[in-house]
Amino acid sequence: MMARVPALLATHADLAAALLRAAERVYGAIEDVEIVTNEGLSRRDLERVIGERVERWPAGGIVMCDFWGGSCHVCGAAVTRGRNDVAVVTGVNLPMLLDFLHNRDQLDAAALADRLVQKGHDSIRIQRGVPA
Amino acid sequence: MTWSLHRVDDRLIHGQVVVAWGQRVNPRTIWVVDDESAASTWERELLESAAPGVDVKVLTVADAIAGYAAEAGHGGAGILLVRDLATARALVEGGLPIPSFNVGGLHYAAGKDKINEYVYLDAADRDDARALLDRGVTLVVQDVPASRPQDLAQLDPAIATP
Repeated sequence: MMARVPALLATHADLAAALLRAAERVYGAIEDVEIVTNEGLSRRDLERVIGERVERWPAGGIVMCDFWGGSCHVCGAAVTRGRNDVAVVTGVNLPMLLDFLHNRDQLDAAALADRLVQKGHDSIRIQRGVPA
Repeated sequence: MTWSLHRVDDRLIHGQVVVAWGQRVNPRTIWVVDDESAASTWERELLESAAPGVDVKVLTVADAIAGYAAEAGHGGAGILLVRDLATARALVEGGLPIPSFNVGGLHYAAGKDKINEYVYLDAADRDDARALLDRGVTLVVQDVPASRPQDLAQLDPAIATP
């Protein structure tokens, strides 16, 4: 049995909190997923806030950020350098978060990260109009 | 190339720069001028990868002063980022003809006074701001293009008095 992989949602404004709440509606009660907002934080302070959480992961975990190049991504990457057991994934959406919850007891952080990227891509689709 | 935006922002490259100002300016180049970041290979690589499609360079203050004019000879638009007002001042005192700095984010730290939601200053910051103003550089507080630009000296009258 693999250890359950923890996660940190790090985003702008209240997105992380809202994503977590939305996921709970679909999945049920969620444990070991923390949230961080970059609101009002300098680069150093955001690194400290993310770092404090990641340090509590002895066996690794996943940092999910809203978008590539945002402060959460940059700070998440900066504080997890050298941590091969921690993956930083950007572009988090609800299907990714749900897939993470359903697979984090079976896969390690690296395998989960690959899976989540694919899941995120696959979840973005166009509903073509049906002819009247 | 046109240096379209000179910005003071302690987050350096982040969402407001990449997305909001990126859409407005459509930069070919972003220069991050920061001695601390330039000294770290890992930090340079991180910042250089943070804005896909844009040529990001991380430079020391000395290298930025030396290369600024030549860079303007290339095509396209450029954004120059510094972490704090002290670095902005060093560039101007080093001779760069920068007419204005956008003050986009100087976040809370112990001992700093709140100017607005995203600008906090202490005595040293005010000294640097005053030095820039004395040289004719305007300091415009504006986090994203859609928000109203405001004059830093008007927002914080304490800058005027040493």
